[in-house]
Amino acid sequence: MQIRGVEKQFAGEVALRDINLDIRRGEVHGLVGANGAGKSTLIRCIAGVTVPDRGTITIDGTELRHGSPRASEAAGLAFIHQELNLVPHFSALENILLGAPKATRLLLIDWKTSGIAARAAAERVGIRFPLETRVSELSVAERWLVMISKALVRRANLIAMDEPTASLSAAESEQLFRIIRDLAGDGVAILYVSHRLDEVLDLCDRITVLRDGAIVDREVRGKLDKKGLVRAIIGHDVGHGEQRERRVVPRDGTPVFAARGVARGEAVKGVSFEVYPGEVFALGGLVGSGRTEVARLAIGADKLEAGHFEMNGARLDVADEAEAVSKGLALVPEERRAQGMLLDQSVAFNINLASLLQLRSVPGLPFVSAGKARGRAEHLMKQLAVKAPGAGAKISGLSGGNQQKTMIARWLRPGTKVLILDEPSRGVDVGAREEIHGAIRDLARNGVGIIVISSDVEELAILADRVVVLREGHVTGELVGDEISEARIIELSYMHGSEIGEPMEAKG
Amino acid sequence: MTTAAEGQKTTMARRPGSGKRAALIFVSRYGTIIGLLAMIVFFSIAAPTTFPTMANFLNILSQASLTAIIAAGLTYTLVVGEFDLSVGFVASFIGLIVCGLMANQGFPIPIAIIASLALGTFIGCINGLLVTKVGINAVIATLGVGTILSGIGFSYSAFPIAVGIPRDFTLISLGRIVFGVPNPVVIMFAVLAILWVVLNKTDLGQKMQAVGSNIEAARLSGIRVDRIKLFAFMTAGFCAALTGILLSSLLGSGTLGAGDGYLLNAFAAVFLGSATLREGQFHIFGTLVGVMILAVGFNGLSIFGAPTHFQPIFKGGILVFAVGLSALARRYAASS
Repeated sequence: MQIRGVEKQFAGEVALRDINLDIRRGEVHGLVGANGAGKSTLIRCIAGVTVPDRGTITIDGTELRHGSPRASEAAGLAFIHQELNLVPHFSALENILLGAPKATRLLLIDWKTSGIAARAAAERVGIRFPLETRVSELSVAERWLVMISKALVRRANLIAMDEPTASLSAAESEQLFRIIRDLAGDGVAILYVSHRLDEVLDLCDRITVLRDGAIVDREVRGKLDKKGLVRAIIGHDVGHGEQRERRVVPRDGTPVFAARGVARGEAVKGVSFEVYPGEVFALGGLVGSGRTEVARLAIGADKLEAGHFEMNGARLDVADEAEAVSKGLALVPEERRAQGMLLDQSVAFNINLASLLQLRSVPGLPFVSAGKARGRAEHLMKQLAVKAPGAGAKISGLSGGNQQKTMIARWLRPGTKVLILDEPSRGVDVGAREEIHGAIRDLARNGVGIIVISSDVEELAILADRVVVLREGHVTGELVGDEISEARIIELSYMHGSEIGEPMEAKG
Repeated sequence: MTTAAEGQKTTMARRPGSGKRAALIFVSRYGTIIGLLAMIVFFSIAAPTTFPTMANFLNILSQASLTAIIAAGLTYTLVVGEFDLSVGFVASFIGLIVCGLMANQGFPIPIAIIASLALGTFIGCINGLLVTKVGINAVIATLGVGTILSGIGFSYSAFPIAVGIPRDFTLISLGRIVFGVPNPVVIMFAVLAILWVVLNKTDLGQKMQAVGSNIEAARLSGIRVDRIKLFAFMTAGFCAALTGILLSSLLGSGTLGAGDGYLLNAFAAVFLGSATLREGQFHIFGTLVGVMILAVGFNGLSIFGAPTHFQPIFKGGILVFAVGLSALARRYAASS
């Protein structure tokens, strides 16, 4: 497969820039990069889900038609995403053959004949369970094998895998690697996308590194070590740019907020941290490391399985979001559109949503004062420099940055004691980002406990006074003040399971 | 090259499109009101002696009043993003029960009415609990509850309850206490005014709008989403019960299935209303406009002696038209 000059823009933002990539038969090709570097977009282009703005993709000399998942499949490309697209209540056999041409007899599917090819594929990947088992009864590792068999039945000659080992045990991963190498030996090309750099270094014949939508490095196996890979992922301009004076807040007294060994399922496995008044505290780590899940536990959206949270030294138990809010804990969510904004309502309505009780004309009577509501909205819009035609303008017409400011304004009220901001500057332009950062620092200075969650290491390095980095539900390290740098955060983010617990923690 | 050409194409395509879009938005906002006024003007010109008279207007309003009350309650469930298909059955059931309480149990009129309204609210509460706490889809839950009610109604009294109802009970709907205006019209305006104030001027109403607009955002803003929905269902149950009582008073009897037909009328009105002034949002004033369109239409049809089977054709047609208009309005509002 050859990719030549593929580019893609989303709403003026460059997602892919002049991508040239060759994947040969029989090779395992690693694709790495930070969140948002363009890996998913590239794969979506190859899969025919996204139409690139320009560039060509050729397979064995034939050009692939853009934007057609069918054409991609016919050309022998198969894609295995993290959220394996299997039908849970179909058997493994039915799933393997789903969508593939099947032998028929009198218009009815002849499962016996069709099954032969499926069983051959299953044998090749080492499936030991009966193919009649329902997929819902299979483990994640077994489902992966079903997906790979499915690709083989369609005679795929390139299989793209997205984070295959994310939920596999070490032994299961080993088995998968063996299968991948076998397939490569048979001439199948594998495009292997992963955040686990050790795996990539170990498994892949060649590695391509994406950063900000462009290929920044490619190496054959052995020419690159983990340090070099990390450097390539974050770029060489580490530490350059808007560094600011960090405040190391004295940590005496009681923390305004604390997590004590909180855990839930596979996502969060015993996370502890303390947030002191006056500091900008941040949770770092890759997507899927458990940051957002910790936030959901804190606000009562999910139930804790172990551990507890504390607010101002007292144990904090919340049954649901409403109780969290009434106790002063609020979340500015990651998905602004889906979880934050009321798109068909005005800016003022959106700002005042969490303060309706304080805006009553007469306390005790349920009537909201239009004057007070408007006054509060206009005051906060001015304070946060929200650019809008007016408080009555619909929020859907605002830019991403102004929408995000509106979401923060919602919580600027006396009752807010701890504010969690999940990806506060996602989809926000640089100018608005600075203003949002300013607002966050102001809040912290006024004694509100601040927890920033961000995938953007640069943002963490600029904004945070203290960073706790998570990796697969564990805390891998804590950085304070001048220790905080993009490189250190990345290093902790990619730290592998076995290294956890080593003396990596640097106390301030 | 290709992108430049495509860019040109889109800018060129946008110009004629934006005019069309503005027109569509205008139609979707004011279309229903213009349609209502046009119908009134048309009927006034076509039947100058029978249509535009005070008596006929009061007649239209009193025909509209029962639909308006039940539709206003239904509007609340749609505002919070749910559905209530049981309102027609609740009206029928309560209409039967209120007569039964007076005829069989000998309850005085006020007690029978209060008990019936409470029962209607309780049925709404059950609907709400099934939807929020059990997690049944609102369409299924309310259709199920409604069907059960029609069965209970049948076992309660398969024949109309007409004997033993105090004469004063019929005066509720037939009387004209305020300035000669029929009582149901006065009750309608009172109910609509209260529901309008609650929806637009209280924090409860703002929370309802928030829940309907984005339930996840509402939840994260500390709103107890389930309670808000429960309140909406209880209001719908109360309004349906009120319509049922007024209907029985009008008929002078409690008749099985008498109120079932209000379901479709109410839905048609509410969806017509959602295409009024605001793009695709449900609101009380819009519902009133929707109800009036139906009432004026029915009235005009009967003045011109159109056969009765025209009524369902008109009703069904306008429902499809209204929902279509509302869907279009919503789509354009979303894309702007």
